[in-house]
Amino acid sequence: MKTREYLILLALAEADLHGLAIARAVEELSEGQTRLWPVSLYGTLESLEGLGLIEELDDPRHRPADESEKKRFYRLTRPGHRALAVETNRLGALVKIARSRLKPRPGRAA
Amino acid sequence: MNIYRLLLRLAPRHLRHKHGREMEAMFREQLADARRRGIGAAAAVWLHALTDIAAAIPRNLLDRWRRRGRVGVPQERQSLMIGSDFRYAWRSLNHQRFASLLVIGMLALGIGSTVAVFSLVNGLFLRPFPFPKPERIVYVNETAPKWNLDETGVNYHDYAQWRRDQKVFEAIALYDQRAFNLATDGGADRMQGASVTTDFMKVVGLQPIIGRNFTQEEDAPKGPLVTLIGEAVWKERFGGRSDVLGKELKLNSRVYTIVGVLPKAAEFPGGVRLWVPMQGDPNTNAQSYGATGLARLKPGVTIEQANADLVRTQQVIFDTRDKEKVVTPFARDLREQFTRDFGTVASTLGAAVSLLLIVACANVAALMLARALARRREMGIRLAVGASRARGLRQLLVENVMLSIAGAAAGLAIGQWAIQLLITSLPDQAPSWTTFTLDGRMVVFTIATSVATAILFGWAPALHAMNKDVRGAIATATASSTAPIRGRRTLWALVVAEFALASLMFVCGGLLVRAYDRVRNTDPGFDPSNVLTFTVAVPGVKTPDDASGLAFRKRLVDRMRELAGVTEVGLISCAPVSNCHWGTFYTQENAPPRGPNDASPVILNRIASPEYFTAMGIRLKEGRFFNSSDGSGGPDNDSSIIVNESFAKLMWPGDGSAVGKRVHAGSGPPAPNRRIRWLTVVGVTRDLKHYGLERPVRPGVYLPLPLGPRSANTVVLKTAGDPALVAAAAHAAVREVDPEIPAYDMKTMDERLTLSRSLRAAYSWMLGVFAVMALVLALGGSYGVTSYLVSQRTRELGIRVALGAKRSDISRTVLKGSLAVVSIGVVLGIAGAIGAGRLLASLLFGVPPYDAPILTIAAASLAATGFLANWLPARRAARVDPMVSLRSE
Repeated sequence: MKTREYLILLALAEADLHGLAIARAVEELSEGQTRLWPVSLYGTLESLEGLGLIEELDDPRHRPADESEKKRFYRLTRPGHRALAVETNRLGALVKIARSRLKPRPGRAA
Repeated sequence: MNIYRLLLRLAPRHLRHKHGREMEAMFREQLADARRRGIGAAAAVWLHALTDIAAAIPRNLLDRWRRRGRVGVPQERQSLMIGSDFRYAWRSLNHQRFASLLVIGMLALGIGSTVAVFSLVNGLFLRPFPFPKPERIVYVNETAPKWNLDETGVNYHDYAQWRRDQKVFEAIALYDQRAFNLATDGGADRMQGASVTTDFMKVVGLQPIIGRNFTQEEDAPKGPLVTLIGEAVWKERFGGRSDVLGKELKLNSRVYTIVGVLPKAAEFPGGVRLWVPMQGDPNTNAQSYGATGLARLKPGVTIEQANADLVRTQQVIFDTRDKEKVVTPFARDLREQFTRDFGTVASTLGAAVSLLLIVACANVAALMLARALARRREMGIRLAVGASRARGLRQLLVENVMLSIAGAAAGLAIGQWAIQLLITSLPDQAPSWTTFTLDGRMVVFTIATSVATAILFGWAPALHAMNKDVRGAIATATASSTAPIRGRRTLWALVVAEFALASLMFVCGGLLVRAYDRVRNTDPGFDPSNVLTFTVAVPGVKTPDDASGLAFRKRLVDRMRELAGVTEVGLISCAPVSNCHWGTFYTQENAPPRGPNDASPVILNRIASPEYFTAMGIRLKEGRFFNSSDGSGGPDNDSSIIVNESFAKLMWPGDGSAVGKRVHAGSGPPAPNRRIRWLTVVGVTRDLKHYGLERPVRPGVYLPLPLGPRSANTVVLKTAGDPALVAAAAHAAVREVDPEIPAYDMKTMDERLTLSRSLRAAYSWMLGVFAVMALVLALGGSYGVTSYLVSQRTRELGIRVALGAKRSDISRTVLKGSLAVVSIGVVLGIAGAIGAGRLLASLLFGVPPYDAPILTIAAASLAATGFLANWLPARRAARVDPMVSLRSE
């Protein structure tokens, strides 16, 4: 899973958001490391939707009241939640392995 | 914002349709955020957004390609069909193989020659010197208009004054090229070197690889004998070992200690292999000019300021030694100085090659246009059966790109090859620090130009056809068989332009070739056939006085006389066309008193043995040549001299014979109480082109050998047969006389003359080739266009034949139209050429720009070319079988 896909899923795990809000959340989550620009953001959203990981909210009732009508809101689907969990575990395991390998070993000169 | 909306059209269509508004809104917010942080941030946002869109393009294409066929809409609209585009393109190019090769060839010729010549110009003019901050280095010299000298060389005393007083340079230095005899195990080698002042390395900004620079003490008069060697000498003679410091070199029979090694970049102005300190004496007031100055400007100082400051420092000298202000210092941009002689040549070549590129582009345009027009029918049919317009355009684009790439590749190969050829044809003339390689920017520019032309003109008619509705497109494509008026007019305009430019180049090339021929046939004033010349380098310690110098030369000449095949042996201090000059001043007896502003031209001074004149084949105008008794009184007594015609005219204008008249050395009347050494003219020679066939002759004087035997170092051998056969024997004979003295610069006079012409030969030849290439391009272009037009008229011509027109009528109809177009082009071109010839005047060596034979030849060749280009298609038209042509529609 690409970093930006993971970050988008993560952002949507906290709340249902629209495009610009997703971009801002992603920037915040990644501590400024990842900034999303329009075409890549919507391109990624399309492909995540295509994979069934997120879905568009078409029912106005679910929309927060203060947002205008035009914006499309996205929500994490059940497979999306699962994929996020799986990916998080995978990343966690990866980090653990990496940490154990990168420990400074005794007996070898630095 | 609207710009962003436009840019979004490049984004995947489905994204745009669904999210376009939101994407715009998002970008607007991002931009607004960034604006608050400043203009830089806003620019960064734009850049990111552009990259964002651009990054989506390949993915978009790939996705579409992958998805082709899976979507319900017709294939044509959804997929890129790259494979089939290339297949179609290949098929259609292959089908019109001749036309395709023609386009590729034209592109290749244009690209190749442009790239080669611009690389040459780039190497000469645009590439920086190999020094740090080279733009701040200036050339410094002195000028003396009254002596008829643009550059006198720098006087050390003047230099010392500038160095003390100047305020504009970080450092100022002198260098003077010198040659050394380097003693080796097997004898002696001749090596180019330079004497430099301490600051030289500071000026060029280079440091020794190992060791150190000269110190101030080493650069003082009678300082120690030390030398810095170049990287090349270090590697060749010392194997690049670091223990070279402190080692000794025997130069000119004196022992020098090596104190350092300089990098290759220091070998300025070319060929310098070792350096010694100049050790000039600022306190002597000697009237000796000859060194060259280099200086590094302080940051922010302009050349004008540097010039003003130099003249300011010179004021002290104007007040004391040079009250007439004869010699004035100046500073000049270093590159300008070293490219002066090449300026007109380079701009001429540049202009010629730009024209050639334009001709090539016009040509490609015409051919592409013709191709595209011919395919209107095919395009129309494609549209009719449901192809999208974009598809058709893309198909043409793929074809044009394929043609362009092939043309560009062939062009680069030609360019690379042409550069090699150019380098070999410019032997010793180009400054040796230049390097000629394909220049990346130039390659990109040239290829972009020609490829853009190909694509643009390949597309234009298609766009035109596509813009109509489908029915219209088929209608035009099928019903009318002749090209639309607009397309035809463009074609004819292109042919006119091609012929105009081709005749312009043909005339200019012809004029230059003719000028070269005129130079080649110029009488040099001596007989170059069967003359071998070489120089011996006799170190001062070997012949400390004139008597020993004379004795050594007598031995040398006697030994040379014994060589088989040698008929005459002469000695001269400075042979013609050998790039040497020694100037002094003379004043005639009873000269009118000279005003302070009167000119006093420098006289070319030479020392000659009696046999020199016959060996060199110099012609006598009146009087006699030297005999062995001339000058026997030595340098301090009266003597006889021989002068040239220009000297006689300068000293005694309109005064009959110069023989018997007397002059003395020095400028102006002699000091009253000093004994005058009178020099009596015994002979007047015809003028001789000492500085080259194209350079003006200076007044000159020959002094007999005993007056300066130690500077007469060039041996002139007249031989019975091929002089080159004597060369090896001459080398051996010199070694026999003294093994420590090398003979170098051994060349026949024919070789020297050829060498002095080689630059002109090179560019005249190149322009000649360009002219022929332009002709070939015009031939190809015109042929292509006429063939196309004829093929379009097949039906019309068929009808005419069917109605009883004769074959000759048909070919006449075809020829008449195209020849009219060709002649318009030729007339325009020749008119332009006469104008352009005026600009070339400085290169034409007196050939008038309206030279009748050249204009006639040009008009005839171009007319013949035009006829040939049109006659072949016309003949084909005449062979049209009415049945076939009518059925084919």
